[in-house]
Amino acid sequence: MTDMIEKGKGPTSTPEEREFELRAQIGSIWSGGRLFIGMYTFLLASEVFSYFYLRSSNNGMLWRLPHQHAPIAYGWAVFIAMSLTALLAMYGQRQLKKGSVVDFQVAGWTGVTTGLIALIVQIWQLTKLSFFPGSSGYASTYMGFVVMNIASIVIGTYWLETTLARSLRLRKELGGENPELSMDPMAQLFRANVASMAYFWGFLAIGGVLFTAMFYVM
Amino acid sequence: MTISAERPIEVVTPSATPPAYGRSWTQRPGWMSQHLGTAIVAAILGYAIGHWFGNYLASGYSFVANSGQNSIADALALTFGVVGWLLGIGALNYPLAKLIGRDGAKEETVDNWTKYFRYSLDHKVVGLQYVVGVLLFMFTGGLLAMAIRTELLNPTTHVFSADTYIKIVSEHGTVMMMMATSIIVGPLGNYLVPLMIGARRMAFPRIEALSFWIFVAGYMVIFSALPYGGFPTGWTGYAPLQTQAGPGMISYLLGFAVIGIGMMAAGFNIAVSIINYRAPGMTWSRLPIFVWSILATAALLTLATPVLFAGGLFGVLDKTVQTAFYVTEHGGSSYLWQNLFWFFGHPEVYIMALPGFGIVGEILPVFTRKPLFAYKVAAAGMIGVALLSFFVWQHHLFQSGINPDMRPLFMLTTELISIPTGFIFLVGMGTLYKAKIRFEVPMLFAMALFFNFLIGGVTGVFLSDVPVNVTVHGGFFVLSHFHYTIMGGLLFAFMAGLYYWLPKMTGRMMNSRIGKWHFWTMFIFFNLTFFPMFIIGLLGQPRRVYTYAPRLQGLNDFSSISAFLLGVSFLIFFANLMWSMWISPVKAPANPWDSLGLEWQTANPVPSYNFERIPVIMTDPYRYSEADAPAFADMGDGAGRSSSTTAGSSQA
Repeated sequence: MTDMIEKGKGPTSTPEEREFELRAQIGSIWSGGRLFIGMYTFLLASEVFSYFYLRSSNNGMLWRLPHQHAPIAYGWAVFIAMSLTALLAMYGQRQLKKGSVVDFQVAGWTGVTTGLIALIVQIWQLTKLSFFPGSSGYASTYMGFVVMNIASIVIGTYWLETTLARSLRLRKELGGENPELSMDPMAQLFRANVASMAYFWGFLAIGGVLFTAMFYVM
Repeated sequence: MTISAERPIEVVTPSATPPAYGRSWTQRPGWMSQHLGTAIVAAILGYAIGHWFGNYLASGYSFVANSGQNSIADALALTFGVVGWLLGIGALNYPLAKLIGRDGAKEETVDNWTKYFRYSLDHKVVGLQYVVGVLLFMFTGGLLAMAIRTELLNPTTHVFSADTYIKIVSEHGTVMMMMATSIIVGPLGNYLVPLMIGARRMAFPRIEALSFWIFVAGYMVIFSALPYGGFPTGWTGYAPLQTQAGPGMISYLLGFAVIGIGMMAAGFNIAVSIINYRAPGMTWSRLPIFVWSILATAALLTLATPVLFAGGLFGVLDKTVQTAFYVTEHGGSSYLWQNLFWFFGHPEVYIMALPGFGIVGEILPVFTRKPLFAYKVAAAGMIGVALLSFFVWQHHLFQSGINPDMRPLFMLTTELISIPTGFIFLVGMGTLYKAKIRFEVPMLFAMALFFNFLIGGVTGVFLSDVPVNVTVHGGFFVLSHFHYTIMGGLLFAFMAGLYYWLPKMTGRMMNSRIGKWHFWTMFIFFNLTFFPMFIIGLLGQPRRVYTYAPRLQGLNDFSSISAFLLGVSFLIFFANLMWSMWISPVKAPANPWDSLGLEWQTANPVPSYNFERIPVIMTDPYRYSEADAPAFADMGDGAGRSSSTTAGSSQA
């Protein structure tokens, strides 16, 4: 909380209080990560609801025009790149827990790369659409999905990248061989953040399976 | 790990200088510092760039060229304007700095009055910023209400055209609903929750600050609808009217989405703070009832608002890239909007109601010197209301897009929700029972809530029944019902909270005599304004129409004149605020109401870190009637605070 307190005007704190604050911060990252997933679930659920609502309504027999498909190859490419990012994020977090910081960083930066690839392909896919956005219910919900997926990839990749950047900062500020694994409060907060980030990517991967099935398989 | 009441002697003073890693780029010299002024400039620049970009992108599209209206440019202008606003105020400094691994810990802090015009990480500053923000919202929404009542003075002589009238009604409704969603969580939730749970900070202070500044941005986006020509849909924005509306509709949809982000941010931060930052000893059964109400509200904000955001996003896509989410003729459905809107919209009613109950639950024990009756029932009632509120939204579709066979189910769930609501109401009555009441201004407002909400609640039970609903749908009866619950409940509770906690927040007492004038005028004219509307509604006057049957003019005139006098009562409030805060301020005692609440036990003014020592909670929060009750908290200065000690201190 140093950032909240004017220089020289801060409270004094006992070791117990500092420990209490640290536990609260770690708990906040943990429960904040889960709550964020809950919030995001409702956002994605709105898209799922819209898809099935319009599909079952089939107003004017215009749920989906004959032979109307989103670009399947691009869709699968995005799905694979996102899943890969999720796997790398989770693998990296596992390796970090086991004490292998290098593995975490290599997996992380690779994950950032696959995340960016997913983002570029997802945006590029919009130029390859064979239908007008308002031509049917399917086309409309597909556009909604694309916008949400772009947001998901940006948020997830940002979170992954910033944990890696923080890892580099830890090295600068704490020194030592593997400061990410130390008991320093900053390192503990860092590890909690990595865990929440990996959890979020796992959630995005599960969501990706659902949306891929909805838009490219069903 | 627990912090025991027996404190260790060792203390550690924070280092006088932060670690030196060079000057952070988030730190600015004085002339480059970020504040409201830079935010306005950046927002205007963002707006202009967005508009230019939108024209560059889309001016050649046939639907733009043919209509002469470039919705893409309008949407991009507003979006870039919001981003510019956030960049200008400094809300994006830290997220951008994180990308390159920079530490946000070296962001500038300002300790003078200008901090209220900046992106502040102090929850107390954010709380006070919200007070001003929501009052501004309320004032502008109130002016629009006066315009509505002016038009309704006469059914044949018109001040506004029918088109202008519906746009005023729409803007009034939207502004007021968005204001009401934040009116307690924003100012009082942000300011008081950390103090009430014994925390030195919020869990995510940057997200908290972001929630306020984005709230202001959303306010401006919604107001931008007026220069864009307004929107004719009412606050509910129903399609297909939404689809047919002009560019003002973009402001409505985008404004909802932007404010939605702020609401999610606020709810998220507050919920996480309550879960993790409660002081040692503050178990769930010792949590102040106001905090319970804010927790339930924060959960609703976090989970229900994303659906509104998605609904707004789909609407913006319909208006810009020509999707057809809400266009039935193209495979969409206008009922889809109704479902998404009300899936948020009905929990929103409880987002507004629950914090009001929390405030009165906090105030009643103080002014009756009794424990809160059935505290656990009240807490359970709040959680019950929050849960059930997700299962009632279809009652808003009784008249439109619902399978008639589904009506009984949603009638049942709607009636069920009156049970936990009734619990909360009875908790208040139980606390008042045989009490020796001190009729101070906050208590008057708190008691008025029960009167108003009883009328609003009972008419709500009527409305949940399909036959009544079908009969009075779309009329003034419904309008009166929700004004009784929202204005009669929430706004009276907000006033109770302001009169009660402003001495803590500002160190100055509100003038009691003017406060009583404010209360009585507001209470009387509120009821005289809105009660006749039940009758007007039953006699068949529809909402959102600028004319009506001549035989209803007497009742409408009575209601309008009462509304003007209700407006005067708000002027009395603003006069009291000016008088008590700036013209003739009276220093507030440390604990003017003899409260046991933890928020009153901190130093005055509250230091930026709230508590010198993290308090240890020793007992329940409402043991007012026990003369020898143990201290509520060990404040770490060698003495706890009990009812007897606070009573003594307040006399000082």
